Amino acid sequence: MEQFFNVSQQLLKGFGENSFIFIITLLLALPLGLVVSMGSMSKFKPLKWLTKTFVWIIRGTPLMLQLFVVFYVPPLLSNGNFNFSRINAALIAFVINYAAYFSEIYRGGIESIPRGQYEAGQVLGMTRSQIFFRVVLLQVVKKIIPPIGNEIITLVKDTSLASVIAIPEILMMAKDFSMQGLIWPLFYSALFFLLFCGILTLLFSFIEKKLNYYKG
Amino acid sequence: MKKIIATLMAGLMAVSVLAGCGGSTGTDSKTSDVNAGKTESDWSYIADKGEMVIGITYFEPMNYMDDNGKLTGFETEFAEKVCEKMGVTPKFQKIDWDSKEVELNAKTIDCIWNGLTITDERKENMDISTPYMENKQVMVAKADKAGKLTSADALSGLTVVAEKKSAGEEVAKTDEFFKNAEYVSVDSQSKALLEVKSGTADVAIIDYVMSIGTLAEGSDYSDLKVVEEKGFSPEQYGIAIRKNSTETLKKLNDAIQAVADEGELKKIAVKYNLDDLLLVEAK
Repeated sequence: MEQFFNVSQQLLKGFGENSFIFIITLLLALPLGLVVSMGSMSKFKPLKWLTKTFVWIIRGTPLMLQLFVVFYVPPLLSNGNFNFSRINAALIAFVINYAAYFSEIYRGGIESIPRGQYEAGQVLGMTRSQIFFRVVLLQVVKKIIPPIGNEIITLVKDTSLASVIAIPEILMMAKDFSMQGLIWPLFYSALFFLLFCGILTLLFSFIEKKLNYYKG
Repeated sequence: MKKIIATLMAGLMAVSVLAGCGGSTGTDSKTSDVNAGKTESDWSYIADKGEMVIGITYFEPMNYMDDNGKLTGFETEFAEKVCEKMGVTPKFQKIDWDSKEVELNAKTIDCIWNGLTITDERKENMDISTPYMENKQVMVAKADKAGKLTSADALSGLTVVAEKKSAGEEVAKTDEFFKNAEYVSVDSQSKALLEVKSGTADVAIIDYVMSIGTLAEGSDYSDLKVVEEKGFSPEQYGIAIRKNSTETLKKLNDAIQAVADEGELKKIAVKYNLDDLLLVEAK
């Protein structure tokens, strides 16, 4: 029993790292994704293609490789004079990666709003930014809740990838236990992810229900 | 455009870094050129910092957490003593074992000190200290099967697992003893044991030193047994540092000898029951 408490405590400590990466990534990637989606919908062609290439590279390469690049490439190029701390490197890689995915979800949401609404706004004498923030964005938020929820739940589990740059997250902790001859912590760690994702799922269905007053 | 180029460059670098892991000589000679081109020696880099960052993974009895959550183990205590002699503070950094060479070249660690087997391939890419401990590869199987693993014929049709790129894999692939067995590689030694425990494989080939801590009484693996009668390819442990760091290597070797001369090394080895494997004698 004492062993169970000890293992739970260690795993919980590891899951703290996962939660930290999760929260910071969400806080930064959600707004950054909106900026990126603006870029990929821009009428200024060079900016549009630059952003599209960026999204292509980020979505087209494994997140694991991106973690390697952010953590190891700067010190290798500077002969060890400059490197991000492990946790910062992980945060940078996760934020950039998730911003790219979010941006495409935003773009889909924004482009799904019928042209007629923009035209109606113009007729009423609203400025472009007024139309975007007062008419379009609120409908977009409602439409993108399910795909964003999907992405966010994926993020919870992706945080365990941070172990490739030796961040002591929960799976790494669990693997250490198996080196010490304890196998069950590896499977027990699933419970932490399940609980966390369960709470998120409930939260999202609550939000969806709250936003259900209007059928778009 | 700059951003694209920068990103692509970074991508290319990553690919070459990963290729370096595999030990391709082309990339490695390039990295050592970079190091050689700098005027600052490796030792003054470490001495200026005043600390030596030691790359480790957790495994008993080498580096592991004790019941109070404090890092301990043979390598931990040994490294603390050696660093004291070298006049630097040891800082233990947990790493992913697969990335140890990249960590070393990126200077995110200064040495790999965690039961590293000395191989020709590693000697080409890194400088390695005097061998301080002996190790061998052993077979691990379910206790009821272990006694029957006596000849190549007995292994016919059985599945053998080992960690990829490990000395165990070398044994499984080249030793006559395993010529009739089917070989599967997994990503770690603990995974190899898990395969045997769950019955998806019959025999795991792992480090003898690792088996001491992992198969101990009361662990989940206590129904597994080391086949004590048969050991393969005796090998030696060394400490790896960056290529061409002659001065660091000398300091390190001198410090190891000094710790051995004082009898401290022997004392630590006895404490972890590893004294008959020790290679550095007190002069």
